[in-house]
Amino acid sequence: MKINQDFTIQKVGGSYVAVAVGETSKSFHGMIRLNETGAFLWKKMAERDVTEEELVDALLEEYEIDRETATEDVHKMVEALRAYPIFL
Amino acid sequence: MFVISLAGIRVGIDNRYPYIEQQCRAFRCDGEAEFTVSVSGDEILEEQKFGAFSEGYCESICIYRHICEQMPAYGVFLMHASVLEVKGYAYAFSAPSGTGKSTHTALWLKNIDGARVLNGDKPLLRVEEDGSVTAFGTPWNGKENWGENISAPLRAVCFLERAKENRIRRADESEAIVRLAQQLYLRGNRACVNLQLALMDRFVRTVPFYVLGCNITDGAARLSYETMSAQI
Repeated sequence: MKINQDFTIQKVGGSYVAVAVGETSKSFHGMIRLNETGAFLWKKMAERDVTEEELVDALLEEYEIDRETATEDVHKMVEALRAYPIFL
Repeated sequence: MFVISLAGIRVGIDNRYPYIEQQCRAFRCDGEAEFTVSVSGDEILEEQKFGAFSEGYCESICIYRHICEQMPAYGVFLMHASVLEVKGYAYAFSAPSGTGKSTHTALWLKNIDGARVLNGDKPLLRVEEDGSVTAFGTPWNGKENWGENISAPLRAVCFLERAKENRIRRADESEAIVRLAQQLYLRGNRACVNLQLALMDRFVRTVPFYVLGCNITDGAARLSYETMSAQI
């Protein structure tokens, strides 16, 4: 997965928000809220095209969690994000 | 072409139609503009597709949109809200269109001594160095045409909801962000959106947010004013 470059992510208050910019902002007016882990994964998907497995590995490198939890977290997040026009 | 002062920024307006000159007359100023905006004929045509409005009116809407895309660079952003001023402080009410912002604004004018409308629809907010926020009147002030060329420190923001009984509560930061995002103009290029999000971050950290469930009785205005003005 790779995130459409027409999105920006910023910390607002205690969480992160992602909103559309440029052309995409004309059709998508919503705001996606993410926690620290969500923002970490988002940034990985914005950098380059990654698989869920690569995201799990990245998560395991950064946070002290087991593979099973990481796999579940990544899958949940990716599925939740499919509701928005963010993947290329 | 003329210059107006908006939230302390001199803005040049290069217009085609006279409508906007009349609209902005209370905001005219001298001096050189920090930036100048103009609108193409195509944009005006595009805007007219949303309703049978005059070219001059549509030009004005497009011009304000362009101004609002420049403003975040100056620490200023647009919030869709009705802002009242009482005893030197500003209070903002925000809600999806049709909820009753105008009705609640009218209740304040009737019930709160010295209340006047700073802007009934599209005020500008400026985040100051110390994180506090100042509300500014603008020539774009909604269908009731409520507003003046004044400014005041913003004391609180209140999101309105319809309810049978009047009640008010504080909104935590997380709820404030979700509700606020719906009332900002988060469009345009990346730099503009990023600047606005940075301003929003400071805004939610310094200004208290409330949620008012209200009916259309006088008590609704008294409850919201007394609660929001009582804080230190």
